[in-house]
Amino acid sequence: MKLTVNGVEHEIDVDPRTLLVHAIREQVGLTGTHVGCLTGDCGACTVVVDGQTTKSCSVLALSAEGSAVETIESLADGDDLHPVQQAFWDEFGFQCGFCLPGMLLTAKELVESTPDPTDDDILRAIDGNLCRCTGYNTIVAAVRKAARS
Amino acid sequence: MRYTRPADVDGVTAALADGDAVVVGGGTMVVPEMTHGRVRPSAVVDLAKAGLAGIARDGDGWVIGAMTTYTELARSNVPLLATAARGITGGPQIRNRGTVGGSASYANPSSDVPAVLVALGARMRLARRGGAREVPAAEFFAGAFRTAREPDEVLTAITVPDTAAAPGYVKFKLVEGSWPIVTAAALAGPTIRVVLGGAAAAPVVVELERASWRARLRSEVDRLLTEPWDDVLAPGHYRARIAPVIAARAVAGALEEA
Ligand SMILES: Cc1cc2nc3c(=O)[nH]c(=O)nc-3n(C[C@H](O)[C@H](O)[C@H](O)COP(=O)(O)OP(=O)(O)OC[C@H]3O[C@@H](n4cnc5c(N)ncnc54)[C@H](O)[C@@H]3O)c2cc1C
Repeated sequence: MKLTVNGVEHEIDVDPRTLLVHAIREQVGLTGTHVGCLTGDCGACTVVVDGQTTKSCSVLALSAEGSAVETIESLADGDDLHPVQQAFWDEFGFQCGFCLPGMLLTAKELVESTPDPTDDDILRAIDGNLCRCTGYNTIVAAVRKAARS
Repeated sequence: MRYTRPADVDGVTAALADGDAVVVGGGTMVVPEMTHGRVRPSAVVDLAKAGLAGIARDGDGWVIGAMTTYTELARSNVPLLATAARGITGGPQIRNRGTVGGSASYANPSSDVPAVLVALGARMRLARRGGAREVPAAEFFAGAFRTAREPDEVLTAITVPDTAAAPGYVKFKLVEGSWPIVTAAALAGPTIRVVLGGAAAAPVVVELERASWRARLRSEVDRLLTEPWDDVLAPGHYRARIAPVIAARAVAGALEEA
């Protein structure tokens, strides 16, 4: 199949049962997208498919043929962090970093669609991303800061 | 496993004709079930490109494609369904991908869509090779994880008639990220209809008079809710206890708008 990730088309061999998250990590070789629960609950595997955040453990790789997939690797420009990444850095919005790729892509979707999100908007947006380190307060602060920048 | 992604409904019904293929809608339930070995299909039919998404007006009602996502529904004006869609948990990722047709076909008692569709008097459009039929939502939901759909049929659309009645929706859960324990979808017009979700294996319809609804509600729910649903979220006796309270809140909410 052909899989377009971060603007680059890859020709890869997949079993029909292969999940999008596994194709991205193992065939395309981009390991920033994490495998968490494989049930659609934790959000660590979040990617953007055709402009919308999606949990890539709940999508068959073949289902993404013809779509534009964006992963966490698309955010920074070399050493220059994306404003959402910078805000998470400044506000200590992560500790172990496992949930971070999903948090960042979800936060990016929110701040791009909602210019001045309330804390309720932020909590609602990250409803599908579990973090077991921070207690979420620093994440909410980071998203608030990202929205302002 | 064979994978096909037909470009139209005829392609889908042809692929389903043998009756052994599994439909993939948004995939949010069925793909993890495949990963964990609870579903082991020999073939899957992916609806992504079959042209089944979108909401249209038709005469005096709505036609909602089976592949319409919660995100699209949340932006619409379809009564009750838009409200329920906004309250789906799992994050924007699930609302962007999960579909109304997938939720209806899955028919988990602890979910939002089934009771809402029954309250609205929706009709389910099913297609199979060489034929199509419509089933009222109240008959479609046959039990827990059971619908009137046959294995060679695909749900193509859901039609919802316009209503002048005032809507009220209440979803009860104990944790923000939880699926609903009990839901109540109310429509208050000349008479009142409130449909309970999560309370039993299939939605429970309660019809009441406007003048006497408060006095009659509890006894009606008790009479109709003979076998309350029991799952990991809550035991049946708990659901039976809260169901009339949740129903009353939904009716009260609807009447404030009336
Ligand atoms: C983290 C999380 C949180 C959730 N929270 C909620 C919640 O708060 N409330 C709630 O109600 N639900 C909730 N859900 C469940 C959600 O409703 C479903 O995930 C979604 O709507 C299913 O739609 P889908 O298109 O992804 O279905 P799929 O996973 O594609 O399919 C589900 C089932 O329906 C069949 N199917 C799908 N489409 C069709 C069709 N058109 N015709 C025939 N058969 C079909 C499939 O074969 C499968 O058996 C949650 C799920 C997750 C993962």
